[in-house]
Amino acid sequence: MNNRIREFRARYNLTQDDLALKVGVRRETIVFLEKGKYNPSLKLAHDISVVFNVKIEEIFLFDDPAPST
Amino acid sequence: MLFISNFVLGIYNIKFIHMKRSIVIFIIAAMVLITTGFWILSPGAIGDTMEYLHFGIILLIVLFALFIGYKRLKSEKRGEPAEDELSKKVLQKTAAWSYYISLYIWVAMIYIKDRIVMDTEIMLGTGILAMAVTFAVCWLVFNFRGIRNE
Repeated sequence: MNNRIREFRARYNLTQDDLALKVGVRRETIVFLEKGKYNPSLKLAHDISVVFNVKIEEIFLFDDPAPST
Repeated sequence: MLFISNFVLGIYNIKFIHMKRSIVIFIIAAMVLITTGFWILSPGAIGDTMEYLHFGIILLIVLFALFIGYKRLKSEKRGEPAEDELSKKVLQKTAAWSYYISLYIWVAMIYIKDRIVMDTEIMLGTGILAMAVTFAVCWLVFNFRGIRNE
């Protein structure tokens, strides 16, 4: 799974510290998220998408195709 | 008396509620240091290389605890939580791995004990120190490598 957190952070002119404070995690967690070394919980992914005012799937990009229904 | 206890509890709630765990880490590190100090200062305490090694490992573990305490305090001062979902997952994975490795450490200790003459206290001390070192190493690995796809 990839993500566009860095891109959105730059767009909203937020530092890693700012984003960490807004979503209630440590700065290291944002660093690990941006490097792709950690996959967030659904709650954290939701909080990040709320900060950037977009849908979760616009920030977090899944490599695998969606399961067929 | 009630006033004093209320006052103390009030200060505790205001200033230390978010620093509780960091302070506990510092207190435990201080207690380990003081106990090690008593051991070092007792007559004839450090005699051979094995005891120097134990002393060195204890110091390393205390330094590791102080590093974690300092990191948490720094996070708290910045207004971040001392613990978040990543740090909790790192701790969970560290605990699981170090427990698993510790089982093998004790099997190895039993194997060694049957072949080398060793006091029971030395064997227990070495095993406990090895467990602590394993925990520290696992934490460092998971903390700096991250946890993917879990």
